[in-house]
Amino acid sequence: MATEEAEVELRIGVYVCHCGLNIAGTVDCKEVAKFASTLPNVVVAEDNRYACSDQGQETIKKDIKEHNLNRVVVASCSPRLHEPTFRKACEEAGLNKYLFEMANIREHCSWVHLHDKKAATEKAKDLVRAAVAKVALLEPAIESEVPITKSALIIGGGVAGIQAALDLADTGYKVYLVEKKPSIGGRMAQIDKTFPTMDCSICILAPKMSDVGHHPNVELLTNSEVQEVKGYIGNFKAKVLKKPRYVTDECSACNECSEACPITAPNEFDVGLATRRAIYTPFAQAVPSTYIIDRDLCLNKEGILACDKCLRACEREAIDFDMKPETLELEVGTIIVATGADVYDPSSLPNYGYTRYLNVITSLEFERLINAGGPSGGNLIRPSDKKIPESVAFIQCVGSRTDKGNKYCSNVCCMNTIKDSLLIKEHWPDVKIYVFYVDIRAFGKGFEDLYKRAKGEGVIFIRGLPAEVVEDRKTQNLWLLGENTLQKELYRVNAGMVVLSIGIEPCPDSDVIQRLFTLSRTPDGFFMEAHPKLRPVDAPTGGIFLAGCAESPKDIKDSVTQASAAAARAGILMAQGKVTVEAITPRPIPENCKFCGLCARVCPYNAILVDKERERVEVIEAACTGCGTCGAECSFDALHMRHFTNAQILAQIDALTEIEADKKIIAFCCNWCAYAGADFAGVSRMQYPPNVRIIRTMCSGRVSTKFVEHAFSKGAGAVLVAGCHPGDCHYIDANVQTQKRVEKLWKKMERLGVDKERLQLLWASAAEGEKIASKVREMKAKLDKLTPEEIEKAKGAFAGS
Amino acid sequence: MVLSKKLWRTPLDTEKISLPKAEITIQPDLCKGCDFCIEFCPRKVLEKSDQLNKRGIYPPKVADESKCTICGFCAAICPDFAISVTEKKCKEGCEDEK
Repeated sequence: MATEEAEVELRIGVYVCHCGLNIAGTVDCKEVAKFASTLPNVVVAEDNRYACSDQGQETIKKDIKEHNLNRVVVASCSPRLHEPTFRKACEEAGLNKYLFEMANIREHCSWVHLHDKKAATEKAKDLVRAAVAKVALLEPAIESEVPITKSALIIGGGVAGIQAALDLADTGYKVYLVEKKPSIGGRMAQIDKTFPTMDCSICILAPKMSDVGHHPNVELLTNSEVQEVKGYIGNFKAKVLKKPRYVTDECSACNECSEACPITAPNEFDVGLATRRAIYTPFAQAVPSTYIIDRDLCLNKEGILACDKCLRACEREAIDFDMKPETLELEVGTIIVATGADVYDPSSLPNYGYTRYLNVITSLEFERLINAGGPSGGNLIRPSDKKIPESVAFIQCVGSRTDKGNKYCSNVCCMNTIKDSLLIKEHWPDVKIYVFYVDIRAFGKGFEDLYKRAKGEGVIFIRGLPAEVVEDRKTQNLWLLGENTLQKELYRVNAGMVVLSIGIEPCPDSDVIQRLFTLSRTPDGFFMEAHPKLRPVDAPTGGIFLAGCAESPKDIKDSVTQASAAAARAGILMAQGKVTVEAITPRPIPENCKFCGLCARVCPYNAILVDKERERVEVIEAACTGCGTCGAECSFDALHMRHFTNAQILAQIDALTEIEADKKIIAFCCNWCAYAGADFAGVSRMQYPPNVRIIRTMCSGRVSTKFVEHAFSKGAGAVLVAGCHPGDCHYIDANVQTQKRVEKLWKKMERLGVDKERLQLLWASAAEGEKIASKVREMKAKLDKLTPEEIEKAKGAFAGS
Repeated sequence: MVLSKKLWRTPLDTEKISLPKAEITIQPDLCKGCDFCIEFCPRKVLEKSDQLNKRGIYPPKVADESKCTICGFCAAICPDFAISVTEKKCKEGCEDEK
């Protein structure tokens, strides 16, 4: 097919998008279009106000038909955003979607060079030149289809995980709900009432917990952890470790065992305000209701049965000390990550005295105290004397919006405190309540009303956080000292109890989850979505979705909304039943192949089989993900990396080094981290020198030493290879090869007397736009010092590459 | 009670929990010094006595009776029936010991 295509005359259409003023404000789009019309084989070159609009797409479609276009280039935003849009338009006009290419002149150009219109326009021309050079070499391709397993794995049994599980199970899909703790319910189960409606939290959650526990389509795996995830969209294989409960399903939750158990410890569910035994259930409404034995506490260690009190107490003989951990292997088509969040530990702020003063409590401890089912039976008692305090002071933003803790706003604490203050007023109207705040953020539906109600009930709001909390030794009351910033006066307030409104933090095991599912995290530590506006519940990895506080701090309503959205997104995939795999897998060229097996050795997926004796090489399409590290390893051009071929990438390099090569940094960025990071720099309008030209590859492992050498031979000033952080590679560990190749090149450069500083390696995540921007700045500074002799030397040294 | 670093407070119901108190009886002269009871006690309630018994060995003695949970494992594994544990009858004195 490729040969047939080559005989047809190339007819390229180029469309330069203004994106309103987003591009046109910096780049002279008319001039770029005019320039494009001079490029070889370009028959149509136009500028367009919004290429992605219906009208813009119609123009492209019309031109494909009228001008017989067989290649299309759109110079606009990131292909990570609109490549699917334009590919679809091409397809609708009868053009194979693999004959389309994008030049990213917004995120990588206009937005990052706002104040240098001339250089930005020149850069846009360069990027268009490279796109035209690549598009000329593109080949039509047909995507293969992969069936999607119609089952979902949901990690985390908080309200988000529960809601997503119910939605998918009700749709008719099999759901595995994995929860690390002995019961599902998550944080919501610990909370007393919910804002703004003051519903009882567990009363609205427990029915959902019970539904999910009994749903015929849900397999509930509590006390379990995901250990390994392999595969790809539609076809994941997950290993789940189901730890033993040591109590069988025969358990009727009668509590006799617990009463007999001689070992006590603080109950985690009650934040240590109540005790539990070594055999226990975390709370009354726990699902499953089956008890569990904490073997760290239990007197019976491995192989020794010292104490049999629970065994004797259990009439149903449900206790089994020989229960063993099980590893389950699940095959699922989609995954929803709903691993929730942790709370900020205020003991790291010594000025508030948490853990030093008994009557300074956290908002989570408050929830357990005010809860009728909690350790104090719903009485808000001071830990020091077990009496109801005469006054309570809430301190907001503890660990949030501060350099001492987390920089972000934790979203829920303002409303939670307002709700808490109303709960106190409801039970004990005479208790005086102070709320010390920075700003009250009552932005949601019904929030402002609740805030007003609290004010109406006499809750005193004081702007300005206390600088210090000091305990009165005699009364164990607390003095709060600070400045009222509205009245510009100092305050000294006495309160019987202080509640620290603690913020929300990412789970401590987020890094494990990140690696398991190859997710990205924002600098805050929460998981990053594929697109903050348009794909807010999709993870960057296909087939994986996010819900709840794992993505960012949010309240129950938002968690439930997001969970339903994630379930719908996963449901769409499973309803379609199949997914097309991008036609970017390699095609072996046996006549070039030496059957050395190097490609098979670097493949992270074992997707290449090389039979030396029979001189055969085979790519297993279903296992291959198209990272291209095999293609980079092959020195004989024996692997044709579809859509990212050697010829295409070399053509891009040629185009980008055509003029003023010595002033340029040729950057190879992986699609998932570095390229996305450069997009992020654009979205955030981080400014950096316009010297860099970015070439996108799926993985930094695709970057062959040949590409770098070729760039230097063409006189490029510097080369940057950028990929995901080690361990975060979206292709398991393909970026290990990146490192090896760059190190090899450094050695070679040293040997040839070329300054090895001219080749840089950077690990940058999708959230690290600034890291990319500062790398470019740093490289630009070096570029300025390069002499023409040095450029020539490198040209000569790598000539012929 | 085992307190973790994060859960630092004394639980509010600590005083309400009443676990049975143990009474450990050792007959030192029956002991031949295998030390199983000392080794296997899950709460480390027993330790070696510093007094020789009739057989010329050091039998166990109670180090901290309050830690005993009356699991009875020591009595069960003692080859010489030298140790027994019973629940302390609380006529008087139990409260004081709390």
